[in-house]
Amino acid sequence: MAYLNMDRISKFYPESNVLANDNVYFELNRNEIHAIVGENGAGKSTLMKILFGMERPDSGRILLQNDEVKIKNPLDANALGIGMVHQHFRLIPDFTIAQNVVLGIEPTHNGLLLDRDEAIRRVEAVMDEYGFNLDPTQKVASLTVGQMQMVEIVKILYRKAELLILDEPTSVLTEQQIHKLFETMRNLCRLGKTIIIITHKLGEVKEISQRVTVMRKGKVVAIRNTEDVDEKELSRLMVGKSVIFQFDRSSRNKGAAVLELQDVLLQKKTTERPLLDRINLKVHSGEIVGIAGVGGNGLSEIEDIVSGLTPVSDGRILHNGKEITHLSARHLRERGLAYVPADRLHRGSSIETSVLENMIVSDHHSFLKGGVFSQHDIREFASTLLANYSIDGQSGVPIGTLSGGNIQKVILARELAARSDFIIFSEPTWGLDVASSEFIYSKILEIREQGTAVLLISSNLDEILGLADTLIVMYRGRIVCSHPNTEELSKEIIGEYMLGLRDDFKEGRQHAD
Amino acid sequence: MGFVMISRRGGSMPIRRKLSTTMVTTFGLTITLGIAFILAIFLMLVLSKEPAQTIFHFFVGPFANKFYFGNMLNAAIPLVFTGLGISVAFKSSVFNLGGEGQVYSGALVTTAVCLAIPNLNGLLGGTMALAAGLGIGALLAGLSGFFRMKWGTDELISSFLISGAIVLIINYLITGPLDDPTNSLLTTPKIGEQYRLFQFFKPSKLDISAFFAIIAAVLMFFLMYYTHWGYEMRMCGLNREFSRYGGINVSFYMVLPMILSGALHGLAGGFAVMGTHHAALKEFTFGMGWNGIAVALIARNNPLGVLPAAILFAYLDAGAKAAMLHSDVTFEIAAVIQSIIFYLVTAQAIYSLFRYRKREAA
Repeated sequence: MAYLNMDRISKFYPESNVLANDNVYFELNRNEIHAIVGENGAGKSTLMKILFGMERPDSGRILLQNDEVKIKNPLDANALGIGMVHQHFRLIPDFTIAQNVVLGIEPTHNGLLLDRDEAIRRVEAVMDEYGFNLDPTQKVASLTVGQMQMVEIVKILYRKAELLILDEPTSVLTEQQIHKLFETMRNLCRLGKTIIIITHKLGEVKEISQRVTVMRKGKVVAIRNTEDVDEKELSRLMVGKSVIFQFDRSSRNKGAAVLELQDVLLQKKTTERPLLDRINLKVHSGEIVGIAGVGGNGLSEIEDIVSGLTPVSDGRILHNGKEITHLSARHLRERGLAYVPADRLHRGSSIETSVLENMIVSDHHSFLKGGVFSQHDIREFASTLLANYSIDGQSGVPIGTLSGGNIQKVILARELAARSDFIIFSEPTWGLDVASSEFIYSKILEIREQGTAVLLISSNLDEILGLADTLIVMYRGRIVCSHPNTEELSKEIIGEYMLGLRDDFKEGRQHAD
Repeated sequence: MGFVMISRRGGSMPIRRKLSTTMVTTFGLTITLGIAFILAIFLMLVLSKEPAQTIFHFFVGPFANKFYFGNMLNAAIPLVFTGLGISVAFKSSVFNLGGEGQVYSGALVTTAVCLAIPNLNGLLGGTMALAAGLGIGALLAGLSGFFRMKWGTDELISSFLISGAIVLIINYLITGPLDDPTNSLLTTPKIGEQYRLFQFFKPSKLDISAFFAIIAAVLMFFLMYYTHWGYEMRMCGLNREFSRYGGINVSFYMVLPMILSGALHGLAGGFAVMGTHHAALKEFTFGMGWNGIAVALIARNNPLGVLPAAILFAYLDAGAKAAMLHSDVTFEIAAVIQSIIFYLVTAQAIYSLFRYRKREAA
């Protein structure tokens, strides 16, 4: 008998005019690991938010062990033994693991003061029970992303969850961390828990789940036993057509160095070690330099300093041999800086602003005629971009009403239109569906053919290995690997670099020290 | 750091939340106004012995004759300027709470210039006097913007404090060195005849600064939506991170909106002198600055929306006065009714304002 049924669930978002869930039927057996797959906007997250009480369905009902339940908010969900680990962690970095776990239901002295020892004892007990190997007195800020995720899971186990929902848990993890996560999931399953995992990655579905539900455009299109389907079929079910995931990357002779970082140092008073420690790298014309690394090891800092948004503490940055170290983002823009940021909803776009006004931000001065914007030129520019990048949306609506993939296409279109000879991509396909990702890859390869120098910062190893000509791995603010992208570099080896198990430059640094 | 890296990336949640807050604000404003009117009617029913007449005069009084109607429109003129001043600042997410001091100083400086050049021709001298009023407002507000840019001083606090101090200084000037000894009121001497703006809707005091108010609203609309300054101000107002990324000089747009805002407030004071009062009376501009916030809020910071919003505000004021004159409602009761409407609307302004700031801090 099914443990959970979600029966004919529908959810419409009037503001974005999206029917996110269309008469969805979902069922879950006790003690299984059930994967939900689907492209962006397929409705997976909405369905899970409804189950977790974060959204209310317009219609439909939820049966838990055959009893109809009303889940009005996450507290109701908790009370019913449903817990969720969100894609974006909800942890307080300055608190210890134990403090984070008990937050909201803290053990107290006389109902008033936090009982720290009791908190640690209880959290330890939960960790022992489920086989987690973490020190509850450690601060969350000092943890790796993988460990933070474990803390999130401990958090919901502490709240006695029987059903765990994991929303794209692997998107920020290294290969090894994913292994560890899957081990934990299997272990929890052995101990009687039921797990739902939302993911994009079909390999993971095969590896971890017993059953899989495929969603497409708000509907459930298939529920299968995982062993009965292969990745190709899952992919076909997801996108409605077969997708072959491969890159056609011709070899090219790289040209002159366009961007060069020389001994770049970035220090903050609040941190002990430099955020960027003597970084040297070159990006040549027609070359894609891929920088991989786990979050917190300097990737976002590279993004910030090269785009001129954060000044460096020491070292030099050169553009075509000219020093640009101390130029602001505004001056870099004037020199033709193009930059597709990782944070596309806050930095890359202004979500309450129209698509049109988002499209002109980096180059709006060029639309002035006698000091006044030429509405005609702007509209023409916008409609050209909309058409060329097959963006699904109108130029007058707030960009926030578009889907994630379309927002990214708007940003891409704008930046490619403004570029000169160099562009930074940071996490260009993060959270996007297969079709949008492929589109973006084809554009990156296209501009590489045209001789643009590309700096690609990404935590997605498939992407880096598929696209980059030169591969750089960052660990704790240092470059630990800088290597032409050849066959011998495998995901596993890069994973070891990313976790600091390998370091090509260790000896050189010891000499220097 | 890992935490930051992850949480920086957005999901679909914040978009929906932001869009829905926009909807809530519009909706909330309608409800606020509705509640305010219902409360006003309720109070008149309770406090007046002849409620039908009171309510009639409250709502219809401002349209009763040319005098009331013209004066109502005249009262809306400074509110248009201050409303525009607040909306340009709010649209850029900078906060000018020093409107009171800027209006008052604009009025005083305009008066002082007119008095200093009693024999110049009207157009030239008048323009100079208005420019001086505009300048002092721009300077006072611009100072707060400059502090914010230079040292990160909160412009909301500094503009409020500067304004508070300026009001006291001007009170001293009007009651002391600039006092008109021949007049028993606490006022400066009257400005020369040639500087007084033509009042075209006699017997009311409605003067030609009404047209300047309309022109100002249209100009501000044009500035905000058709020029790159306006575009950059609005972009900075909605998302500074995005603006910086796009190559906009973000710190400049902490100062410019303040300067514009102060200039418009200064003009409000200048026109109040040259059009209506012909002198600077002690605290005669009181309320114009604060009411500008309510007007900007009702207009949702749209410069063209400021025109009807200012008239609505002036209408409520005129209604209270008419009710007072023509029924048994006393000054106190009229003031109470007016205050209730004012507080309800401003409470929402302040609430939105703090939500803006919270969002920015987050």
